[in-house]
Amino acid sequence: MENKQDTHKGIWWHPLTFPVLLAMACAAGFGGTSMQLVHGKGAFGSVVLVQMLNTALESGNFAVLSGYAGGFLFARFLEGPLVGILDIGGSICTGISFGVTGLMLAAGWKSVLTNFPLALLCGGAIGLGLGLVIEAVRKGGGFTTSASAATGMMMGAGNSIGAFFGPLVIVTAIRFSIPAGVGAIVGAALMYAMKKPIVGGAIIGAMILGTLGPIPA
Amino acid sequence: MLPLILKAVVVGGLAGFAFAAGAARMFHAPEYQAMGAFRTLGEMNACRGDPIAHLSFGASFIPVTAIDAVAVGGIGQELWHRTVPNVTAGLLLLKDKDPDRTFKNPKAMAPLGALVGAVGMVFYMTMASAVPAKMATIAQKVMVPAGQAMMDYLMPIIFFLTAIDGGVHTGVASILYGGFAQMVMGNAVPGCVMGILVGKAVEVDGWKRSTWILVTAVTGLFIAVAYFRGFFTTLANLFVAG
Repeated sequence: MENKQDTHKGIWWHPLTFPVLLAMACAAGFGGTSMQLVHGKGAFGSVVLVQMLNTALESGNFAVLSGYAGGFLFARFLEGPLVGILDIGGSICTGISFGVTGLMLAAGWKSVLTNFPLALLCGGAIGLGLGLVIEAVRKGGGFTTSASAATGMMMGAGNSIGAFFGPLVIVTAIRFSIPAGVGAIVGAALMYAMKKPIVGGAIIGAMILGTLGPIPA
Repeated sequence: MLPLILKAVVVGGLAGFAFAAGAARMFHAPEYQAMGAFRTLGEMNACRGDPIAHLSFGASFIPVTAIDAVAVGGIGQELWHRTVPNVTAGLLLLKDKDPDRTFKNPKAMAPLGALVGAVGMVFYMTMASAVPAKMATIAQKVMVPAGQAMMDYLMPIIFFLTAIDGGVHTGVASILYGGFAQMVMGNAVPGCVMGILVGKAVEVDGWKRSTWILVTAVTGLFIAVAYFRGFFTTLANLFVAG
């Protein structure tokens, strides 16, 4: 078995490599959210997270979005340097793409995000900074070990919310109109039979059959 | 449409490059910092270097991601920590069976990962764009009340329950911070999240210096938010004779 250390030379193992990779990933995360704001699609989030963003944009209250996503950001970035693997779901897809952008939107900086190149630069700069901090923390010793346990609980809560959201969409679809409601029921049942999450089926079913009917006032 | 596709290529390429390299680095952690997930590490190991296993596992997440993209536009996380690493690994393994040269090697994974990411993003954005306007309107009108109910009641309740189920430390902390957040910010969720973090820190690490710093910072943050939102003024006015 050849010595691992022999092959770890060159640019792919340089101390600055991880910050650069993280910069690219965070730039992409910001890019996805920018696409979501401008085109209504592209963010690195599930149905629940995108809906949180939409509700926040509508109401102007970003506390829930920032608090929820920020919690993941905080916990995963504490855990990442300690264990050597940065969990990208909580840190980048949720924390950076929705939490940090949520804070920016709350501060009124929407134009930074809707400008695609600026959003990429912004995300990249944040990622680079965080990457440098992570490498510094790794040298200095990690933080609390409770971060992983806390994130586990939050993921569990997130999964529960996702599970509850499916039936919630069915109920809202039925309250909207009969055709949409029937569509939601059928779509959800189909997804359930295929052992996939029902929320997507409920929404698409409501969209397809709801089109056959009028849009109530 | 063209701007959307161009953006999709850029975002997909950047993310695919970074996350594929990060996934390869997982096999060299903790000496080298990686990006991914422990779940991804387990799943890639379970495929045992078999290209068909990697490819079919990665591809299995395409239907649900496509459905989510059509339903609300978001593409989720599965593309990045399951589809890209495994499809890239599978493609590399078709030509070369050696793990050290293929999926454990960031130099090999990154460029191909960029391609897989870009193709994936373009595919999902195209699917999401194929939705007619009336359908999009209905989706929005169904989702807005659902989203509102989720934010106002579902999320706070579930987070309170999760924190309480997690033990007395997270429970008490979340009730205190969550209740305060509901009063000050209009929603308990940030408070419950902070309560879970603080409660777990106290439970797992005890009252170390880092725990005190965390508690002070979080409490200070909430008091600052309350002050700037005029909470204490409103509270004081309640007791002044009307």
